[in-house]
Amino acid sequence: MALEQALTWLQDLNFPTEIRESVWLFPTIETVHVFALVLVVGSIMTVDLRLLGLANRERPFSELAGEMLPWTWTAFAVAAVAGLLMFSSKALTYYANIPFRIKMCCLLLAGINMALFHWLGTRHLETWDRKQPPTPAKFAGGASLLLWTTIVAAGRWIGFTT
Amino acid sequence: MIEQFCDWLSGTNVSVAFQSANWFVPLVQTVHIIAIAILLTSVYVVSFRLMGLTRGAQALVTLTAKLTPWIWTALCVLLVSGMLLTITEPARELLNWAFRVKMLLVLALAGILRVVQLRMRRNPEYWTESPARRHAARAVGIVSVIVGAGIVTAGRWIAYV
Repeated sequence: MALEQALTWLQDLNFPTEIRESVWLFPTIETVHVFALVLVVGSIMTVDLRLLGLANRERPFSELAGEMLPWTWTAFAVAAVAGLLMFSSKALTYYANIPFRIKMCCLLLAGINMALFHWLGTRHLETWDRKQPPTPAKFAGGASLLLWTTIVAAGRWIGFTT
Repeated sequence: MIEQFCDWLSGTNVSVAFQSANWFVPLVQTVHIIAIAILLTSVYVVSFRLMGLTRGAQALVTLTAKLTPWIWTALCVLLVSGMLLTITEPARELLNWAFRVKMLLVLALAGILRVVQLRMRRNPEYWTESPARRHAARAVGIVSVIVGAGIVTAGRWIAYV
């Protein structure tokens, strides 16, 4: 109940109301969201494919990750702001939407997967930086690939179910 | 003429079958978006190098050579998934001006990428060997970043115009 009140408060704010009532604001914000998210997904998948040994096998992992992760984080910040604005325009509707919930759960899992890999998976990085990663790191790459594919799919399904 | 073609295409068995499966369009769009992710990220990584905004451990020619198969594979996946979406809803795409702008931008980007590659195939230092060439590289990088963003923008606006 308190959550519903908070969501109602959010979507009744000035800017969310303006997004909801404008014909061009929502598609414009959505375009920014899509533009940023393709860069997030593209850069993360590059790192995932290296972990799985399917691409960039001859490059040190640390070097590739160092070049790709600034793209990921910059684009993620943009996608998150645009996504939050889209959410705020119809907070109650999105909150009740199943694909939206699936997307948020997968985002959370992708974040946990990334944090675990960062803290535990890179502890002996120097032993495999130029080689195939050990199984747990490969697993993290595979999980990330699957989660991000699901995030894209669930995101697309939101548009067909709201 | 195009209207008649759309009418005919949307009445074919294959189009009717795609239309009747309500999961078909979002599924194909998901594949389409993931292919765009691979294409646009590759194009932006190369473009930022051309513009001199990022440095990489690999030479530009090595980076481009490695990304080339990914770029063309992604373009093929985009073409096939885009055609499936067009077969499903011909009028939504073929009568839409955002779709037409998008197709022109895709052709422009493919042309730019081909030129960038071909120049380096003959001379690996082509884009860096003189100040004039570095200026040209910067211009090519800026144009491909704008064209890439234009493709995504036009693509999303197909749903709204």
